[in-house]
Amino acid sequence: MFNGKQEIKDTRIHLCFDCGKCTVVCPVARYNSEFNPRLIVQRNIEQKDRNFQDEAIWSCLNCYMCLERCNYRVEFPEFIRILRTEALSKGTQMQCTHGGSLQALMHLMTGENLRQERLGWLSPDIKLSKQHDTIFFIGCAPYYDIMFGDLEVNTLEGAKGAMRLLNRANIPFNLLVNERCCGRDLLLQGDKEGFMALAQANMDEFNRLGVKKIVTACPECYYSLKVDYPKMLGSAVAEVVYWTEVIAPLLGSGKLHLGRLKEKAIYHDPCTLGRGLRIFDSPRQILCAVDGLELVEMEQSREKALCCGASSWVYCGAANRQIQDERLAQAEATGAGVLVTSCPKCQIHLKCAQRNRNGKMLRIDIQDLAGLAARSLETRR
Amino acid sequence: MSRTVAGIVVFACNWDGLSCIEAAAQSRLNYPPSVKVVRVSCLSRVHSGLILKAFELGAGGVMLLGCESDSCYYEKEGRFNVKEYEKTRGVLGLLGLGTDRLRLARLPRGDGDSFVKQVTNFIAEMEQADNRVEMRNV
Repeated sequence: MFNGKQEIKDTRIHLCFDCGKCTVVCPVARYNSEFNPRLIVQRNIEQKDRNFQDEAIWSCLNCYMCLERCNYRVEFPEFIRILRTEALSKGTQMQCTHGGSLQALMHLMTGENLRQERLGWLSPDIKLSKQHDTIFFIGCAPYYDIMFGDLEVNTLEGAKGAMRLLNRANIPFNLLVNERCCGRDLLLQGDKEGFMALAQANMDEFNRLGVKKIVTACPECYYSLKVDYPKMLGSAVAEVVYWTEVIAPLLGSGKLHLGRLKEKAIYHDPCTLGRGLRIFDSPRQILCAVDGLELVEMEQSREKALCCGASSWVYCGAANRQIQDERLAQAEATGAGVLVTSCPKCQIHLKCAQRNRNGKMLRIDIQDLAGLAARSLETRR
Repeated sequence: MSRTVAGIVVFACNWDGLSCIEAAAQSRLNYPPSVKVVRVSCLSRVHSGLILKAFELGAGGVMLLGCESDSCYYEKEGRFNVKEYEKTRGVLGLLGLGTDRLRLARLPRGDGDSFVKQVTNFIAEMEQADNRVEMRNV
């Protein structure tokens, strides 16, 4: 049976003194009165009191808003993750979104004999090095583009864009032919076993090829490889960096130049990248380096940025929709023409919210940061 | 997880699809016992999550068996969730399982012969594909 005693201790949950700041800032609590982080902690702090039928635990977005505000940095999202793991081990069923297809996909990727054919979209203008010292971790973008094709998502454009920027900066990298999902969504859902299988398989591949440095395209992969892998596997992964952290300094020092795009843009901070890993500036530096691009800020941005409203493919209900609508309204209020984000999942969720408004509202264009930056390169050949 | 042709899951729609399977049984036609039939109201009910779950549980192939396009019980135009089918095929392709592991068969009412023919062909093709993979791995 699952025993999370030490893990629970590590979340500092016992320091909670019931102030309720987490609940005030929680975007879910605002729209769903059933979800109250303060009361969830109160109800579940003692193991004997836990009720694994408690549906509230599946609504958490893992947006780190509570953690940001908490005086004692009580890791509520981590606490929720442990509760979920415990609930699953007790046989509770979670509510998967998208018919459970993403869960099935992730479990399929744990297969030992998996031989993926996931690089068919690779265009010849992207140059790969021969060695595997540095690899570019694409993430699940090829899958997302197929699965969410009806939402017209274009998450691969982001991965391709980041690769073109690395090419332009003369940073050699290679790809993994059989790269698997990083597994973060399974971990957040409480499926630790599934996560471990994926993490171990990826780790074995890194070790086999002697990978020394990993550049990631997706914030979730970044978090997973940088934080979760060492924590859960107990051994350090190669150096993990996010692509904006590689490109932004080169733009600052004048070694790399972007092209021209006449746009008024806003940047939507993905929770994992922003509050999770404190990367707020480098994506903005990249946007500012695009000639002719005017960057404006939304009402809630940086540390206070609102979540895209859904996470880890678990539970999507009315509250999630309202959060997404609020985020889109904030974006539209700025008068910008394009909303830029660097997370494929934010793109999927916000585009889904847009589609469900039935075209009643003006559509703000949603684009990936790397895709946009790479597109500007075309103007300076 | 071993994926063998031992398991072929057939999602059969409650109407013409299932009638083919019943007709095959009534005319005492043989087809391998590895074929597992799941009855659904309409093929539009079968989304990518269900299909991928079948593969996750070890199915070697999935067949969608339904009415011909103009004789759907629910829809005049016989619309069927083609997008969902195409999308799942795409995902299977990326996973390296091959797009052919998902098959769509739309048969007229009570055509047991064609069902048995199609499902045995499907199994033979899957077996060939498995052998190819084994050869490649050796």
